[in-house]
Amino acid sequence: MSPLAITTRDATTGPVLEIIGELDYANADELRERLTTLDLRPGQRLVIDLSGMEFCDSSGLTALINARNHAHAAQADIALAAVPAHTLRVLRIVGLDQIFAVYPDRDSAIGS
Amino acid sequence: MMCPADQQPDPQDPDTGAGADAGAGRLADTASFAALLEDSAEDLYESAPCGYLSTLMDGTVAKINTTLLDWLGLEREAVVGRMRFTDLLTVGGRLYHETHFAPLLRMQGELSGIALDVRRADGGRMPVLVSSAVKHGSTGEPLLIRTTLFDARERRAYEEELLRGRKAAEEARRQAEADRTRLQEALAVLQQSLLPDSLPAVPGVETAAHYHTASPDRLGGDFYDVFPVDGTRFAFFLGDVCGKGPQAAALTSLTRYTLRAAALHDPGPVAALTTLNKVLYERYSGSGDPRYCTAVYGTLEPDPATGRVAVHLAAGGHPPALVLRADGTAGYLPTPGGLLVGVVPGAHFTTASATLGPGDTLLLYTDGLTEARTGDDRTGLYGDEALLAFATGLAGRSPQAVVGALTGLLASFGDGLDDDTALLALGAPAHPAARPPRRGPA
Repeated sequence: MSPLAITTRDATTGPVLEIIGELDYANADELRERLTTLDLRPGQRLVIDLSGMEFCDSSGLTALINARNHAHAAQADIALAAVPAHTLRVLRIVGLDQIFAVYPDRDSAIGS
Repeated sequence: MMCPADQQPDPQDPDTGAGADAGAGRLADTASFAALLEDSAEDLYESAPCGYLSTLMDGTVAKINTTLLDWLGLEREAVVGRMRFTDLLTVGGRLYHETHFAPLLRMQGELSGIALDVRRADGGRMPVLVSSAVKHGSTGEPLLIRTTLFDARERRAYEEELLRGRKAAEEARRQAEADRTRLQEALAVLQQSLLPDSLPAVPGVETAAHYHTASPDRLGGDFYDVFPVDGTRFAFFLGDVCGKGPQAAALTSLTRYTLRAAALHDPGPVAALTTLNKVLYERYSGSGDPRYCTAVYGTLEPDPATGRVAVHLAAGGHPPALVLRADGTAGYLPTPGGLLVGVVPGAHFTTASATLGPGDTLLLYTDGLTEARTGDDRTGLYGDEALLAFATGLAGRSPQAVVGALTGLLASFGDGLDDDTALLALGAPAHPAARPPRRGPA
């Protein structure tokens, strides 16, 4: 059984992906595959809710960067919600906090 | 085994009385069964599904059954009294008979299941399994040898199939081992192209490096180098590419040679990283497989007059370098906000500068060190604070000593260290080499 689960739901602003478990070398591709099934339209915002993410390594970061590229290719925006403290620290070290909009929780990320 | 007919009840016997119908049927079956047995002794001998052979003690054939004659393609008259058992065998079979079969039979009185080939009249050979027993007379003297031969063609074919299978498997294994060796040699050569064999001598600077490979058959994702850029300056870099394996190695190679080439055009740290960012972004951004690296790149300008070394560096997405001072203190050289190299087109890189006095050392590392797991939990990591404390304990020591101590620290992580880790230490010697003596006043 994969230690990663991804749930999708739709907010008024666009799709919300919730990452539950470990986003790492072993299963980061699941996020990549899930992205290809998303209905993401220009002007929408893709929110990735990380409140349930327990672990994220460099492959997980790559998957998030890929999500950003995917959103931008669809002329949509991307936001990260509820980034765990350890991952936020890594995001800051590698400067990714500059290219991702980061929100404390899902509700603020979807602007409701 | 013979059942004389006169001992059988007559199925037509009127004495059988009222139950005659049922009884008569059973009796008829018994009679036909008996009739089968009746002629079976001779017929079984002749037509048994095996060959029978009786020979005198010198091997001369005394009796042979039809089955064996058919196998051999010989007439009885040509064999009985005219041929010996060994005449029926192939050359190899004859040799084996003389050296093993006959002596053993003489010794033991019987032998079973010996694989031999018999020669057929049409020139072919037929594998058989031979069992023999010596028949003794009433006074114990050997009279003759009784031999049975079983058709072993199916069995031999099966054995040959097994042997062929085993040979093929061994060949495949040898091939796989050869391939594996070749692959490992290729990997080792490629790995060497990703890292310098040894660091060049930099006048007025001591250098030391260490590379920890997380897995021997996974090409590394960390890199470092030190090289001269002009008469007075040297450039250095160290970094970590995303991912593992061959794709990561290709990225490492691209990164290393891009930085070396960029440094020749403009050795400035931001210029070199900006060139690398452009190259990586253009190479990978459209691929759907984003690839990037963290990197710290800088220049060293040793001043032979003072023994000091000026360091200018820039970093993108990389943990901060450490400066270990000769006075026993240590501190990070922060480069906050520098972005991973290759993620966005116009990435920003952060610069920092430091001057190394005699006995000071600049330490660069990849996050394999700080992200090493120190507890059972995947998030219990070694961390920045622990590294700073460890480095402070090494302040004032030479780059070689610093890298040696950190190599020991990496080893102490055991399984907690599951990422490649690169270390590069650059220091101003505590005791600068003797300078050319100044000329005294004339």
